[in-house]
Amino acid sequence: MTTASNLLTFLGLVVTLLIVWRQSWPARLRLFAAQSLLLAALGATVGVLAQRRGLLLVAVVVIVIKGVVIPRVLARIGSGAPVRPIAPGRSSGIRLLVAGALVVVAYVIMLPVTSAVELPTEGAIPLAFAMALIGLGLCVTGRDALGHILGFLVFENGIFGLAILATYGLPGIVEAGVFLDVLVIVLIMEAVVVQVRHEHDSIDVENLRELRG
Amino acid sequence: MMLVALLAIPLLGATLSWRAADRLATALHAATATLTVIGALAVTITVNRGEPLVAFDGFLRADALSAWMIALIGLVAALAASEAPRYVARVRAGRFYALFHLFVFTMLLAVSTDDVGLMWVAVEGTTLASVFLVNFERTRASLEAAYKYLLICSIGIAIAFLGTVLVYFAGIQQFGDEVHALRWTTLVRLAPGLSPRVIELAFVFLVVGYGTKAGLAPMHTWLPDAHSEAPAPVSALMSGVLLSVGVYAILRFKPAVDAAAGAGFARGILLALGLLSVGVAAAFLWTSPNYKRMLAYSSVEHIGLVCLGLGFGGTLGTSGALLHIANHALAKSIGFLLTGRIRAAYGSAEIAAVGGLLHGMPRTGAAFLAAMLALVGLPPFGLFVSEVMIFGAGFARGFPIVAGVALVLLVIAFAGLLRGVHAIVFGPSTGAPTAETSAWRPVLPMAAAFALLLLTGLTWPPGLGATLDRIVAIVVP
Repeated sequence: MTTASNLLTFLGLVVTLLIVWRQSWPARLRLFAAQSLLLAALGATVGVLAQRRGLLLVAVVVIVIKGVVIPRVLARIGSGAPVRPIAPGRSSGIRLLVAGALVVVAYVIMLPVTSAVELPTEGAIPLAFAMALIGLGLCVTGRDALGHILGFLVFENGIFGLAILATYGLPGIVEAGVFLDVLVIVLIMEAVVVQVRHEHDSIDVENLRELRG
Repeated sequence: MMLVALLAIPLLGATLSWRAADRLATALHAATATLTVIGALAVTITVNRGEPLVAFDGFLRADALSAWMIALIGLVAALAASEAPRYVARVRAGRFYALFHLFVFTMLLAVSTDDVGLMWVAVEGTTLASVFLVNFERTRASLEAAYKYLLICSIGIAIAFLGTVLVYFAGIQQFGDEVHALRWTTLVRLAPGLSPRVIELAFVFLVVGYGTKAGLAPMHTWLPDAHSEAPAPVSALMSGVLLSVGVYAILRFKPAVDAAAGAGFARGILLALGLLSVGVAAAFLWTSPNYKRMLAYSSVEHIGLVCLGLGFGGTLGTSGALLHIANHALAKSIGFLLTGRIRAAYGSAEIAAVGGLLHGMPRTGAAFLAAMLALVGLPPFGLFVSEVMIFGAGFARGFPIVAGVALVLLVIAFAGLLRGVHAIVFGPSTGAPTAETSAWRPVLPMAAAFALLLLTGLTWPPGLGATLDRIVAIVVP
């Protein structure tokens, strides 16, 4: 179990770093879908090895909602987006370096959790938290609505992975609430983006800078 | 049973109103709001007469703390509902009312469940239900406000989820998941045995997460936009009770954290964030050019004061904070509803565009002035009493420096808010407002809210002390 959970979470983190690195929207979207599938695999693995049937159901729901439905909605949102020119001098190097630093930070913050217990999955907990932190970074530094949504979803994936690793699955009502929540947020975001595009002819959030003071 | 009925009323009202239009929608709206407030008061009275109400095998549970919040949500929702028809007379009335009651439902659910997981789902639900209400006028500014609101609060609430996961993790590590099912009652019972380091980390995430919903600085940045761009009844609900629901969520975890990690940990965080919130609000109250934003920053200030009261703790500090939540809910919702009328009459929310309000709209102006004097904490209104209790607790329980700094910041905020109010109420007349109504019926709900504010300000109503003591017994172990 330790090997499997470590490997799957590590791959999830690698995909997260690739999302940081890539600039093109379709590529980042595919990477997000891949990350969600890894998360589902993690849920299924922990479910089988720890004999939690509920996690298998969770894995199926993750595949359907985060692997298929949400990427489709995101593709629909992104289909009308103007292709963002990559500004010269904006290297991914710095951002990757920051992401690397966040992994270290994640290990430090999660020390109380990993030192509190002897779990077969404990080694992967900081990796999942690093995914969440990097997602949060993507969300905060995102320059358009798509960047914000993608960052938020990566963030959410990281937290969800942490929940699986630390607790082997939460009570059903909470899991259901989490999925419903993510789905509704993405759909509301789509409605908002449609209106932003309608009002401003682009989804660059630089246009949303009127409210100050 | 009564608790289930209370939750079913707004949910049913919301479902029925969705497709309704015109007079049917208004009638449904009025009926739902009336039944909600009756149900809320009935639950509150029942809980305070006896044991907590429990339904669905303890899944729903209302103790004295829940009842306090339920009563406030019911009252403020009724007050806001009485003004709502002014704003939706023309367009999509059914949709507005449906979302309005759904919003009320999610807030009621958040405070009347024993399951901290379901509480999390309900608090997240408040964001999803209200985001379209913020953007109901569909202007550029309201769109920006709704976008910021959804994004920042979703991130915040996801952080609160992380905190909830860690609390659950700490519980099942110690006791196994047969005993521990994310129930608050179980959590408080088991708390002394939980790993203190994990619980501390969880509480940090919970405070950042629910603190975002509560509008605590530095997570408050969505608040002035959303509160100022939403239609006035929605602003009243958000500022009056939604922020307090965020505080409530933090307050639920506090006894468990105190038992697991010692009383100093939660106190330090609450005092620091409370002080910062009062400070940030004091600065922005001086610079805000828009009176709805001014009221929004005043909410940040008052939530900061509530946190200070909870941080000082003890019977005096905690009951002062609870009373302050109630007084602020009444005064701020009156304030926002009046700004809605002023904005409709003058066509602008800029302070510069409104002058000589007392001359242009004598009745609205006088009520607005009274509400603002209540909000700055002057007697004879209830906020004066609760602020005295909070600061009294600060000095009595050995935090003279924190209380002293907060008092200085409070004076700065006081002057900043009064400066804006002075310009609006007494300043040179600029615009020509549309005539205000002279009918007496639209005034009644607000007059009732004023009466409640005066009641807590001038007297100590019988039963209030006992009610507050019951709640203090819950949150101060």
